[in-house]
Amino acid sequence: MSDSAEPQGTVVLKVSGLTVVYGPQTAVAGVSLEIVRGEIFGLLGPNGAGKTSTLAAIEGLIAPRSGTVTVDGLDLRRHPAQARSRLGVQLQSSSFQPELSIEQIAALYGGLYGVRLSREQIRRSLEEIGLDQERGKRFKQLSGGQQQRLALYIATIHDPLLLLLDEPTSGLDPQSRRALWSRIELLRGRGSSILLTTHSMEEAQAVCDRVAIIDHGALLTTGTPTDLIAAHRDDPRVLAVAHGDVTLEDVFIGLTGSMIRD
Amino acid sequence: MTESLSTRPDVGLALRSLLRADATVQLRSRVSTILSLALPLVILIATSFGKAGQRLGGADLVIGLALTLGLLTSCLLGYSFTLAHDRDAGVLQRLRVTPAPTWTIMTSRISVQFVTNLVASIVVVIVGAILHGLSLDAAQYALTIGVAALGAAVFLAIGQALVGLVPSTGAVTAIGRILFIVLVLLGIFGGTGLLGDTLKTIAQWSPVGALMTLFSSVVAGAAWSDQDTIGLLACAAYIVVFTFIGIRWFRWDSR
Repeated sequence: MSDSAEPQGTVVLKVSGLTVVYGPQTAVAGVSLEIVRGEIFGLLGPNGAGKTSTLAAIEGLIAPRSGTVTVDGLDLRRHPAQARSRLGVQLQSSSFQPELSIEQIAALYGGLYGVRLSREQIRRSLEEIGLDQERGKRFKQLSGGQQQRLALYIATIHDPLLLLLDEPTSGLDPQSRRALWSRIELLRGRGSSILLTTHSMEEAQAVCDRVAIIDHGALLTTGTPTDLIAAHRDDPRVLAVAHGDVTLEDVFIGLTGSMIRD
Repeated sequence: MTESLSTRPDVGLALRSLLRADATVQLRSRVSTILSLALPLVILIATSFGKAGQRLGGADLVIGLALTLGLLTSCLLGYSFTLAHDRDAGVLQRLRVTPAPTWTIMTSRISVQFVTNLVASIVVVIVGAILHGLSLDAAQYALTIGVAALGAAVFLAIGQALVGLVPSTGAVTAIGRILFIVLVLLGIFGGTGLLGDTLKTIAQWSPVGALMTLFSSVVAGAAWSDQDTIGLLACAAYIVVFTFIGIRWFRWDSR
């Protein structure tokens, strides 16, 4: 692992020796990482590398075999409600009750996070994300971009300290992607930290302060995109796949291999 | 970050929000209304012509049958399928990553379904009494609703255990339907003695058989019997056992 670019500032997420096991298969093998306040951290890895399992363990959806997760100093296992109240979560495929309108979904999730929202507050928030006209519609009636905007709004309805986004740009058109990154930057500006997974190396290189590459459940390297490129530019595996200047994608493919994963 | 987040979010607010949302979902779900009311009302109407009701054992038995089948259909084919579908679609996972305790998520759903069943049962008893010319006093109505609450608890516990033990929505649907048929056949036909004494005894202890006994006793205003005691004990046992299974082994994720 690269030792460069150690995070500076208040640690909001600390993951130590996280191991997740499904039957005989180890999905996450001793992952440790820290994220500081206001940082955008990208977790990169091929399909089945352990990204979603790592996020699921941080979200408290699965119990790790070993290791600890602390959010803002709170142990997730000992104080799950308090720790979760500091987390905003957007799952890979968000689904809300199909019978509820998006206005009702917002009211429900506000209540679940302890935030009392008036109809006017909800209307204003939906207006901010361009969904004011859709507030009476059901989630399934929204377009992919609108669904994504609503899912992100719900994930941030309580101004979380740490936002967990699992492949947030997957399936979005360039306009929606650009709007998403603007919103993520806005949230960072308000003091939130962001941990996200993505398959887009260009986006990770452009947006993330630090990235970690994970494969077969283990972190291979961590650092700023620039530092990772510098640290691995002479690695023969990276040079073998690079065309011209070494990019983060070259480092990624060099370290995780060219074989297509399902 | 708001100041309120330094402490645990308000569980009462979370539960109220869930109850409001689940009640809205229930009201908008036509399937739920149909399952709760359609089958019992069809039974009541169909048996109100000529001597059909008498051939089935009298008005008290017919109303008991309608109430029992309404509860069974609503809980086993309605509640469990909806819960399994929501689990499969990721609705439950999305709720679970919030700070709301998981018991609030389940309590809300079960409570809304329970109230729906009670309301449907009241409608069925009133319609049944009118169609079959019964004059029930307040105590009989109250007892009937009490037994309906017991029945709703039994079948909700069975539905919860089914979804808890079976991860796939397709399998929940298939097993739920088979279970429905088996319980109905056992409770109705086993109880007549047509299938032999052993099955008759089993039928008395089966969920459908036990509830039909209790319903027909309270609707008829009959004195408390040993068979009623058996029915009550059986229902209590089903509630305890299946609730334990449904909570202990509930799977929040279908994968």
